[in-house]
Amino acid sequence: MAGIWIYAEEQSLAKQLLTAGKELAQKINEPVVAIAIQSDMASALAGAGADKVFHLQAKTDWVENYEKPIAALLQKEEPSVVLIGGSLRGKALAAALAADMQTGLVNSALTLSYSDGAIETSRIMYGGLAVCTEVLSQGCVVTIESHVFEEAQTGQAPGEIAAMEVSLESKVELIRVDPIVHQGEDLQAASTVICVGRGLNGQEDMKLAESLAQKTHGVVGCTRSIAEDYHWLPTEAYIGLSGQKVKPDLYISMGVSGQVQHVAGIRDAKIIVAIDTNENAPIFSAADYGIVGDLHEVVPALIASIVK
Amino acid sequence: MEEEEKFDVIIVGAGPAGSACAYVLAKAGKNVLVIERGDAAGSKNVSGGRLYTYALELVEPGLCTEAMLERKVVREQIMLLTEKTGITIDCFDAEADLAGGEAQSYTVLRSSFDEWFAGKAEEQGAMIAAGILVDGLIIEAGKVVGVRAGEDEMYADLVIAADGVNSFIAQKAGLKNEWTGHEIGVGVKEIIELPESVIEDRFQLGQGEGAARMLLGNTNGVQGGGFLYTNKNSISLGLVLSPASLAQQDRSIADIYQDFKMHPAIYRAIQGGTTVEYGGHMVPENGWNSVPEKLYRDGLLVVGDAAGLVINTGTIIRGIDLAIVSGVAAARAVLAENAASKIGPEYVNELEKLHVTATMKLFAGWPKITGIERMAAIYPEMANEMMQFMFKVDGTVPEKMPKAMQHIMKKYVSVGQILSDAWKGFRAV
Amino acid sequence: MNIIACYKWVLDEQDIKITTGSLALDTSRAKGKISEYDKNAIEEAVLQAAKSGAEVSTLTFGTGKAKASLKDALSRGPEKAYWVNDEKASTADGYVTANVLAAAIRKIGSADLLLFGEGSSDVYGQQVGPRVAALLEVPAITFVSKFEIQGDKVVATRTLGDSIEQVAVKLPAVLTLLPEINKPRIPSLKQVIGAAKKPMQEFKVADLDLPAAAVEPKTKVKSLLGFVMKRKNQIYKLDTVEASVQALVAGLAKDGVL
Repeated sequence: MAGIWIYAEEQSLAKQLLTAGKELAQKINEPVVAIAIQSDMASALAGAGADKVFHLQAKTDWVENYEKPIAALLQKEEPSVVLIGGSLRGKALAAALAADMQTGLVNSALTLSYSDGAIETSRIMYGGLAVCTEVLSQGCVVTIESHVFEEAQTGQAPGEIAAMEVSLESKVELIRVDPIVHQGEDLQAASTVICVGRGLNGQEDMKLAESLAQKTHGVVGCTRSIAEDYHWLPTEAYIGLSGQKVKPDLYISMGVSGQVQHVAGIRDAKIIVAIDTNENAPIFSAADYGIVGDLHEVVPALIASIVK
Repeated sequence: MEEEEKFDVIIVGAGPAGSACAYVLAKAGKNVLVIERGDAAGSKNVSGGRLYTYALELVEPGLCTEAMLERKVVREQIMLLTEKTGITIDCFDAEADLAGGEAQSYTVLRSSFDEWFAGKAEEQGAMIAAGILVDGLIIEAGKVVGVRAGEDEMYADLVIAADGVNSFIAQKAGLKNEWTGHEIGVGVKEIIELPESVIEDRFQLGQGEGAARMLLGNTNGVQGGGFLYTNKNSISLGLVLSPASLAQQDRSIADIYQDFKMHPAIYRAIQGGTTVEYGGHMVPENGWNSVPEKLYRDGLLVVGDAAGLVINTGTIIRGIDLAIVSGVAAARAVLAENAASKIGPEYVNELEKLHVTATMKLFAGWPKITGIERMAAIYPEMANEMMQFMFKVDGTVPEKMPKAMQHIMKKYVSVGQILSDAWKGFRAV
Repeated sequence: MNIIACYKWVLDEQDIKITTGSLALDTSRAKGKISEYDKNAIEEAVLQAAKSGAEVSTLTFGTGKAKASLKDALSRGPEKAYWVNDEKASTADGYVTANVLAAAIRKIGSADLLLFGEGSSDVYGQQVGPRVAALLEVPAITFVSKFEIQGDKVVATRTLGDSIEQVAVKLPAVLTLLPEINKPRIPSLKQVIGAAKKPMQEFKVADLDLPAAAVEPKTKVKSLLGFVMKRKNQIYKLDTVEASVQALVAGLAKDGVL
């Protein structure tokens, strides 16, 4: 029968998709079926709630080459929906699959729901300005990025694992792979995030942010230009629509104007505090609390008044 | 082998003057290039503003019916403000039409009007290149033979400077110097969105009808005045002030505007609206006396604001229409004259035939009236106090009117000052 | 060799306003433009063509409003502009768009290299490039930050979240490009004037021999609303910076985040 199919090349994300899939399964009463290309992933997913796992076995690991076997499998099984991990590779794969299956694709879905007999998704459009809710026809592909759903827990009655040998055709030659070393601390795990923007006078102002981060046990992030134009922080520190989306309990910004693309990256923060000299800066309408003033005065005063 | 592209006419600037000229020339079969520095025609232009339609009909009869116009002006208003009070004179005429039946004037929004107008010129066959800045003239043996934009050079039989109040081209051609602080006004303008019906209710207008208002006073004593125009679903509100006068006090025009906008009488008119645009521009303010002595040289004509063709009498502000007419005059000169050296004089001839010169000369003295210092605050305050007296009833016995008026006047001006101002005004007209 | 750069004509998101109350999007003041990352694709096509002596065309699928994009695209260097002009473009999803573009490319005849932006600035669906590759049965290299044409091969660098890859593939191929690949130049006067003279070819969807199902979208938009966060919007404006800061800290402590 149809089924909610999931695939991600990374285990944590795959388990997050499982959660999304199981939630949907409760409403449409269909099995959750996973595709894995490594055996440890297959067992992990079987143990975390997948009703069945197809373990595709082939000689190479280059994810993109699995397009044809996965497409063939999906076309045979006719899923109600296919959830694919929204990593960059995942999105590319999802698009190719959607073309092979001649079906729709919604990328970077934020929510997955069921209403009036159809699956619905919501996602961001216009660079963060708007939210679009779409109704999917039967058998569409949906990609979901990391940290949108919680990981499914292990400890369920394990699902069935079916091994399948597949042959891959490789039109693309992989010459070399260099892993990207992630510098800096993990913004995703931080419960407090201090964000710097173009309102800083110069790189020496970063010290203010770092002191505040220390006092609040927080991590420093930045807006796009600080990372990509000024390089005061690595690219991984950039918070925004096409960067990191953070969910801290407390977010404090200094010198950040608050363009929609940045705000899209902080919408899930519990409390947003903004410090900027321009009272008309859009950040203030996105904030819970704000102080209009010079960060060189406000931040030191803030550091001084935090007792811990 | 690259063939050298040459145009009959290159027009710098796709504002009303440039587009009018391009339209007439292209329609007559000339190979015309219009180079506009904004991303689209109109993106760099700001007017109060209003268009007197006779000018559009001059370009092509019937153009008004298609034009991107806002509201037909049926209320002409003058408002004299003090800090908290105001007197409004309102002239209503729902049939403010020209002889041919066309409405005399419409309020306009430059971004839509200019873009539409340039599009019409394009339809006639003119080529419009937008997003390009002309940064030089090519002059050979004393004659202007083309323009330079970045690394590109483009040649033409004639170049027309339609590049606005700050005309870089007219300066490069040696026909114009930089304006002094007494010759221009610096303006700020805000567009405030309001629903059509709200505008019609607040200004007592029928559907499609509009109001045009000039305001004096409440500008912190700075010379100049304000304007308010009703568009279809927005209000254009702003100030044009004298830089020389601004320099004599310490507030910026932006600050003065914020207070001006918050005047209780004005605020009630724009309440609840959303600001969708805020910008500034310079305006030629000295009329005929600041129009360059020569509006042409070999291979070049100057039209529109670049030629200083703007009239401000306080009740009438004309810029767009004069720009359009001068564009038509330039086009006609090209079409009438084959000898290149005769085009300039023929252009001046056309300006006379189309009444531009006579009109500019007639109003040449008016800047002296709008420049009377007491206009900025003293007279509006005096007028307000006089009217307050006329309307006051508190149970006490008021002064006898002539005496009261004398008292009020004495607070603000001496007889000598009034006479001096009156004489200035008399001589100016 | 010929290169086709595909682009989308979108509304400029900067001009879009959110209507207070209903949160509906007000696009009345929004002007059209070529989507930002697609400009990188066109620029890259022109840069690569200069190195390898290839011919460059552009292709777009849009409604009649997209006509304004043809001169813009041509002023950036390509020799010819193709466009599929159909009202269906206004409701097209990635599925329809890819079907139409692939069919148009088949109609044009062939392309050795197809370049796409990573995603459009309005929908940012990030899917049309790889879809077209799958439909045309050519390999797709996605998220390319740099590439070189070497004879009948392309050697490309992909910047993915967790790694940087170098890959090679034989042409024909589809590449989707990251915006960091180049900085599009601003067209000069001669290029803008020249654009009007270059050939532009229009197709209708009906010319493309597509089955009816291929041009009906698989997802339908149920609602499109402005994203407005409901936050407290409390600004502290006390007499001294210290006083405001203390009030802020007290408030945060009460919220349990400090």
